[in-house]
Amino acid sequence: MYVLDVATPPGDDPSAVVDALRERFADEGAVAVVRRDPSLADADDRTTVRLGGDRRRVTTDSRASLPGTLDDLARDHDFALTVGFDDAALPRLAVGDVAVDDPLAHVADAADLDPDVVLAAIRETEPHESLGSLVAAAKRSADERFAGAIATFTGRVRAQENADDAPTEALTFETYADVAAERLDDIRATLEARDGVHDVLLHHRTGRIEAGEDIVFVVVLAGHRREAFRAVEDGIDRLKDEVPIFKKEVTVDDEFWRHERDA
Amino acid sequence: MEWKLFADLAEVAGDDRITVSVPADATVGDALEALLDDRPALRERVLADDGTLYDHVNLLRNGADASLADDAAPDDELALFPPVSGG
Repeated sequence: MYVLDVATPPGDDPSAVVDALRERFADEGAVAVVRRDPSLADADDRTTVRLGGDRRRVTTDSRASLPGTLDDLARDHDFALTVGFDDAALPRLAVGDVAVDDPLAHVADAADLDPDVVLAAIRETEPHESLGSLVAAAKRSADERFAGAIATFTGRVRAQENADDAPTEALTFETYADVAAERLDDIRATLEARDGVHDVLLHHRTGRIEAGEDIVFVVVLAGHRREAFRAVEDGIDRLKDEVPIFKKEVTVDDEFWRHERDA
Repeated sequence: MEWKLFADLAEVAGDDRITVSVPADATVGDALEALLDDRPALRERVLADDGTLYDHVNLLRNGADASLADDAAPDDELALFPPVSGG
C-alpha cells in the first residue's frame, strides 16, 4: 500500500486535493483516507478512518497509532491518503504555502494538481507493508489451494538486551536499494524453487523505526509446516547475511552504526 | 563513473555519491585511487596498511562483487559498503 500525506497550511481545507487524488487512485485500486480530526479536542488520540470502495466512514476513539492503523489498512488497500499527520515520516504532498522538508511533490492549489504526476511519484516510494498485508497477499496466491501452512518471522526494534542495557530509542536503516531488491528477489526465487514452498514474501522497512516497531517480515506459504519453518529461517538468515542494509542505533546516550560494535 | 558509499563510509567521505574520472583503460583499483585522492579521509577507513581493501569492506561493480583488478567502464556504478546489518 502506497501512503501519501497531504499537507496544507493551517486553516486551509485539503478536501479538494484529497478528493481529486482519491478519485484518480480509485481507478488503480482500493483507497483509504485517514484524517486526524481537528474537531476533536484530544485530536492526538482520535483518528477518523474513511475507507475506500464503499466509502464507509469509521471514527475510532481508540488509541491506535497511525502506524498501527496503516498496518491494518495495508491488508486490503492499495493506497492511503493521510491528512493532518505532519509529524509522521511519510511521503508528503505540499499544497500551497506550507513548510515541508523534502516534499514528494508540491502544488499551488487543487486547480494546479495533476493526479497522474502524483500517482507516478508515489509509485517510486517504499510501499507500507505489515505482517498483516503480507499474510493477506500470501492468501491471495494462485497456489493457496495447495498450501496448508503460513509461517512468518517479524523482526522488531528491541529496546533493551536486559534490564541494565541503555535503552534503544530507534534504529535508522539505510539501504543500497537496487542491489537490495535484486538480492531479496534472488532469495525469494531460491526458496520458492523448493518442493512444497509456494510463495515467499520478504520486506524490510527503511528510515527511522522506533523501539517496539516492526522492521522486517518473512512470510512463507507452503504445503506443510516443516518446509514453511525451514524457508522462514533460511530466508531471514540469508537476508541478514546478504542484503545491503545498514543499521544505525540511537540509544538514550549514544548513536552508532551497528557493524562498528559487532566488529 | 559514480561511486556510491553507504553508512559510516559515506559519513567519513562527506558524500554518498561521488563522481570520478579515470582513463579509458582504467581498472576498478584506479577508480578507487581517484576516489581516495578526492576524499583522503576515506583512505584509512577502507585500506589496510598493505594497501589492499579491508576484508570487511564490500566492493561492488554494477551490483556484483568486484575486485580491484577488474576493468572499469565510464558508465559503471561502483559501490563501497561496510558489513551489512539489516534485520
